Amino acid sequence: MPAEDMGKLTDRMRLTFAVATVVCVLVLAISPVKDFRAEWKKHKRSFVRYAQGRPDTKKLLADYSPNIDQVWIPGMNVVDRCTTCHQGMTQPSLADASVPQPFRAHPPIPHNVREWGCTICHRGQGPATEIAEAHETTLAWEQPILPARYLQASCGSCHHADLNETPQLSRGRELLSRLNCQSCHKLNDLERPMLGPELSSVGYKVSREWIYKWLKEPRTVLDKDGNVTVNGYENGDESRMPKFRLKDEEIVALSAFLSEQKAKPVESYKINPAVVAAWSKKPDLSSQGELRFRQMMCTTCHPLAVTRAGETKLIGGNIGPELTKVGSKINEPWLVSWLRNPQGYLPHNNMPQYGWSDEDLFKVSKYVMNQLTDSDLLSTVPKLEPATSDEIKNGKRLFLEKGCASCHSIAGLTPQKDFGPDLTALGAKNASELEFGKAKITHNLLSYIQAKLQDPVSVNPVSRMPQYTWNPADLDAVTTALLSQTGPKPTSALQHLTLPKVEASYKPVGDFAEVYERYKCYACHRFNGYGGTLAPDLSYEGSRAQKKWIADFLKNPQTIRPTLILRMPQFNMTDKEVNTIAEYLAMAIQKPDVNPQALDARQFTPPMASLGKQLYEVKYQCQSCHTIGGTGGYVGPNLNNAGNWLTPAWTEAWLRNPQALQPDTIEPRRNFTEDEIRALTAYLMTLKAGIKPQTATSAANARPAGQGAGR
Amino acid sequence: MKSKLLPVLPILLAAFSLSACKKGAQVVQPVEAFGAYDTEADWNDGTKLVNLGYQESQGKHIFYQYCVWCHADASPAGPSNRSNLTPVPPLLNDGDKLNAESDEFMENIITLGGSALGKSAMMPPYGKTLTPGEIKQVIAFTRAIAEPPYQKPGRQGSQYTTK
Repeated sequence: MPAEDMGKLTDRMRLTFAVATVVCVLVLAISPVKDFRAEWKKHKRSFVRYAQGRPDTKKLLADYSPNIDQVWIPGMNVVDRCTTCHQGMTQPSLADASVPQPFRAHPPIPHNVREWGCTICHRGQGPATEIAEAHETTLAWEQPILPARYLQASCGSCHHADLNETPQLSRGRELLSRLNCQSCHKLNDLERPMLGPELSSVGYKVSREWIYKWLKEPRTVLDKDGNVTVNGYENGDESRMPKFRLKDEEIVALSAFLSEQKAKPVESYKINPAVVAAWSKKPDLSSQGELRFRQMMCTTCHPLAVTRAGETKLIGGNIGPELTKVGSKINEPWLVSWLRNPQGYLPHNNMPQYGWSDEDLFKVSKYVMNQLTDSDLLSTVPKLEPATSDEIKNGKRLFLEKGCASCHSIAGLTPQKDFGPDLTALGAKNASELEFGKAKITHNLLSYIQAKLQDPVSVNPVSRMPQYTWNPADLDAVTTALLSQTGPKPTSALQHLTLPKVEASYKPVGDFAEVYERYKCYACHRFNGYGGTLAPDLSYEGSRAQKKWIADFLKNPQTIRPTLILRMPQFNMTDKEVNTIAEYLAMAIQKPDVNPQALDARQFTPPMASLGKQLYEVKYQCQSCHTIGGTGGYVGPNLNNAGNWLTPAWTEAWLRNPQALQPDTIEPRRNFTEDEIRALTAYLMTLKAGIKPQTATSAANARPAGQGAGR
Repeated sequence: MKSKLLPVLPILLAAFSLSACKKGAQVVQPVEAFGAYDTEADWNDGTKLVNLGYQESQGKHIFYQYCVWCHADASPAGPSNRSNLTPVPPLLNDGDKLNAESDEFMENIITLGGSALGKSAMMPPYGKTLTPGEIKQVIAFTRAIAEPPYQKPGRQGSQYTTK
């Protein structure tokens, strides 16, 4: 370029600068345009248009601002901008399902959105201002929003005690505890481990062949239609013993080791030879045994497969193991000893000690050994030679390595501590903290948990976790419970809010304690918040029932509920035991403000009773739920014998406010006047139709215990 | 050569920035994608599932505790109590009967009982047992499972959408 041209602009350069300037301005304009077109601003504007199309525009737009709206709660680490787009969140008039999202109101819940924010429950990214970032897993944001189906998990992060509103979470927690997950994994506030059976003397109980079969194929499996089955019969309950992925030689070694476990010899009991001689020849030994088995209400706890109308299903309770094929499993001397004293073999188990006569013991044990059998049960088991010392040694090593020792104790073996990973903070994990292996699943926490539960090796080929069988509802419940395990709260404000689980326990004293343990009353009944839920809560039984009635009932149990099949076993208690229980219930198991002595039935007059009868039958029509003399409803207890059963003081208190005495009772609280309460009580106290004692034939005709869950 | 590239640079830059701002705009996920809070199998066709929101699912649990005994064909304890009652109470999903009743009437009959509204005294009052909120939840559940389906009376919600 010549020197004189320096500093002059050529046309070409002018053009270049002009274009560059325009481009520069355009580039600078991108930011404001992008800002104007931001997703959240679009929603802001469309909410205004939407509100203008409705009659309540003014109210809807009262708090409107075109800026980002956020709920900021410093103490809880909440910065939630969700309400920027979800603008109708607190507008009751937008509750209807026809209101388009994201404007619909939040359904009324116990927590106020403004006080709690959104991500505490829904998770996701509170500070995000784009739809994808707020709701989904992206590179920078790893907590996806929680699908509504698992929302109860968030309730469980703070509410460690069970809530009525979260049945799915409670079921999930129950499963975690029942399936003994905490034996291998660390989990927040789960009840103490409920171990699998101790195996120190299992060699006396079952054969090596049966152990082989059990390890190869536990009785609960998922059938080809995806149903959970027990011994081939459909069942809603998950089994507690999962399937371990064991090689044949490992099963051989384990069965060798276990069949040699004979720490404590079976307490031998010789049934009176006269009884054996008399009954052995009788052709109806088995059917008599079955009758006794039914009469003793074994099926209250143990289910059996029953075929009715061509359909076979398991019928009975779920407290004890299923027994359809148990005769092919156990040895007879063990059974006799077990029936007489279950705690002699397993110190901690819920089977009551019946008062057996030799005759009953012989009949029932023969029935179990000869009728509850399956000749094909062990047909797939190969011939097993006597255990060699190498096999036993190997079996012992495998017992520890495979984690068997985490659930089953054997004297002299110490289980490995913290066998499985700590899951107390699983629910708060990000996708990058999880290993997905070669599994073809979405990389987020939810898919990980479900894949791991359904098939542990799909995400980790060397996983030691056994294979469980789940029905879909239980899979979701357990997932919810695991998602609720979000570890300790990060901030002190939340730690303060956490509601701890209250551990209930009830330990009676004196003579009653002994009977209570012997008959395991708490396996079915609840006392002051502790115990089973199968049978009525007895916390206030001393205020409710008359002492004589309690004693009669224990001697000869009857069902009070018309639709419920009798499930209370007849324990053959001695008079002394009956007295101990009746005395203790009447003295100690009372509601403090309902004193049974405070009101005497003798003060009721016949006119009061006839007024009560009229109120019962006409004004309040109590017969819609209660039965008297064969007519009436099935919902409440039958009142035929109310005069002998209930104390007048309890009856009055109950009529005044049933929920004060039993919070979960379904009997509604009515508007009775005090006079009406007195009259109704007077009438009920005149009802004294005793029920005739149950005979052997009526018990035989009775259906085995059903699955009813009535209260 | 250099001067030729110079004007192209800002254009390239602009193209990059534009492509970047396109990225965030993904498909808008409707709330249904996050699923229902709970489901209830259709009473007439067990293979069909009815989606329930929070209110309705709470109502479902209250129903299965208090109402199922008389307003369903089977109860948790087995047979239904319906056959013991005259007049026979309606099934809860009976849209032909219940869709015509207003929410207010339903609230009243649950709160005050049948006799207060000139209906059967066999329907007891639940006003002292359930809270008003719980009663609304039961009604929401009733509406959700009604067959034929329940239509809210009066003005339909606007069909306006955000798109």
